[in-house]
Amino acid sequence: MYSFNRGNFKTAIASVRASKWRSLMTMMGIIIGIVSVVTVVSIGEGVKQQVISQTNHLGKDLITIRPGKVVNRDKEGNITGVNLFASYTTAGALTNEDVDTVQKTKGIQQAVPLSIVAGAIMYDRQTFPDVIMIGTSPDLPTVLGQNIPYGDFFTTNDSNQNGAIIGPKVAQSVFGQEVPLGQSFEFLGQTFIVRGMFEEFETSPLSLEADFNNAIFIPHQVVQEITNKKATIYEIIAKPAVASQGDIVASATAANLKKAHGNQEDFTVLKQNESLNVTSNIINLLTRFIAGIAAISLLVGGIGIMNVMLVSVTERMQEIGIRKAIGATSRQIMNQFMIEATVLSVLGGLIGVGVSLLINVLLRILTNLEPIISWEVVALAAGVSLVVGIIFGTVPALKAARKDPIDALRNE
Amino acid sequence: MPIIELEDVSKLYGFGDAATVALDEVTLHIEEGEFVAVMGPSGCGKSTLMNIIGLLDRPSHGKFTLNSRSVAKLRPNQAAKYRRDTIGFIFQNFNLLPRLTALENVALPLVYKGMSPTRRTRQASDILARVGLQHREYYYPRQLSGGQTQCVAIARALVNNPKLIIADEPTGNLDSAGSRLVMELLSEIHKTGNTILFVTHNPELTRYATRVVYMHDGGIIRDEATAIGEVAETARRSMYSVSTTSVEDDLAGVSALMNHLPDAEPANELTMKQKTRKKAKRGVRGHR
Repeated sequence: MYSFNRGNFKTAIASVRASKWRSLMTMMGIIIGIVSVVTVVSIGEGVKQQVISQTNHLGKDLITIRPGKVVNRDKEGNITGVNLFASYTTAGALTNEDVDTVQKTKGIQQAVPLSIVAGAIMYDRQTFPDVIMIGTSPDLPTVLGQNIPYGDFFTTNDSNQNGAIIGPKVAQSVFGQEVPLGQSFEFLGQTFIVRGMFEEFETSPLSLEADFNNAIFIPHQVVQEITNKKATIYEIIAKPAVASQGDIVASATAANLKKAHGNQEDFTVLKQNESLNVTSNIINLLTRFIAGIAAISLLVGGIGIMNVMLVSVTERMQEIGIRKAIGATSRQIMNQFMIEATVLSVLGGLIGVGVSLLINVLLRILTNLEPIISWEVVALAAGVSLVVGIIFGTVPALKAARKDPIDALRNE
Repeated sequence: MPIIELEDVSKLYGFGDAATVALDEVTLHIEEGEFVAVMGPSGCGKSTLMNIIGLLDRPSHGKFTLNSRSVAKLRPNQAAKYRRDTIGFIFQNFNLLPRLTALENVALPLVYKGMSPTRRTRQASDILARVGLQHREYYYPRQLSGGQTQCVAIARALVNNPKLIIADEPTGNLDSAGSRLVMELLSEIHKTGNTILFVTHNPELTRYATRVVYMHDGGIIRDEATAIGEVAETARRSMYSVSTTSVEDDLAGVSALMNHLPDAEPANELTMKQKTRKKAKRGVRGHR
């Protein structure tokens, strides 16, 4: 517009630098606000990406069947709502017959049950309650597409039903060995022998799946035997024969199951990408909620800037008087203070983004989170701090601009 | 042709019973190229007059034509622009911005005019050279002597080529050497055709003026032409009388006044004294 804008900008930088400590304290509110918003959003984004990459690894075409009605759908089959507590509120469990029903559905290549058995394993007279025992069928590695670099998975015709396949984390945490093949442990009074170990599963926090890395897999029949058929199937994973027909196969499966359950829909058939949607919906919701709370600190930061600018206007009354006496218009004075407030808050925003990047790196090093700072978030942070500066700079700038030059000059 | 035409200009502060008259129907015409000294005791309305002529303030009543434009009813922003282009201000306490260098201070009016940085730096530099401070361009005000600081302020007042320069006690904070430096400079500027209006308490400084205006209680009581190099007649008579610029003198004046007040109640005397003392102090501070 005018060249004085550049002059104002220089003046603003100079006055920020002249009182560095106070400027930093002023910006602190904005910095904290931006850091919390950016960090929360980036963690949310990171978790989402982890879930997506895990799902991609498992294969988008997989169909999972869970007990209880977890999602509501409209007529076209789109998910309209998620009921997180469905498995607790609606009765119903999946049975071996359901596994058969799914397996027999046209277009399904394989279906495997997953049942979690309550109880802790014992090894070397110690119990390990953290390890999850999962009962499944021999097709699991094929369905998941997961390699077993050491040993092998159990087969249908095994005479010895005591074989167990472990997730890679268990090797260290329980057996203290890289590859504990041949080691034996006890579970619910029965002895099992490690006969194979999975390669590492891709995992993510907040996933709906159990952590397979920290699980021991034993045959589903054995689970039925040792629990006296009390262990319930918490999930059936099925792989369609043709990947592209996942949708049709999934609805066929749902129809078959519904018939088998006496026309009751006390189960949920989810395609892998749908369970992804469910997860990312939840994450998005949480992220927005927390980011909203964090945004309040931005507001507080803005008020802080307004406060300091008001004090600054009072302190620099004489300067305002001089500038007006030598011909500055109210608008030019207003511009000066507006730009100063904006410089303060945008600078705070930039520092905030910088600190967020640092926190991002620290989180990656110290935790298993992989936060992602997208350029959209950075742009949003910069934009928000700009807007905060403009909004909260207006009142002090108006106060400065409206000052009568004589009064301002007389002020000492 | 007069550059300043004041017709029955009054300035009132406050309302109703509390109203004070700072200027009482002042009529003053100043021709282009005059070097006018304004003298008078504290509180006589000199500063108010300067503020009105300098467009920092608006008269309550009366007509004011500055450089053949009627300016009595200008809005603040119009006044700011007209002030920027027509008037240069010099203050008693210099009023330079402490965080800017001498050069930046001088260039500031040009900034508000919207001149490009290169041009305004060159112009400011030229003006600084004219006041003999080219070698101090990048000094900050606190690094300069009082006289030099005021010269920078004069350079700032000159940078826009204003027709009129208003100086409110330009030598009030300076020693005699500084005063001399500043007055010689103003005198030189006057020779190049500028109209200069300055307020002073020092009768000696009327030597530089072509005309001296004496004010009292918001009105002009005497207006005389004087030759450059000579102390004005009326000023000379007051030269050896008691100066009224120190606190003690002001208090003495007040108590003399109090003595002549008809039957001031004794109970009120103490509070009256306190009040007047405060008033006296405020008056003194106002001049610095």
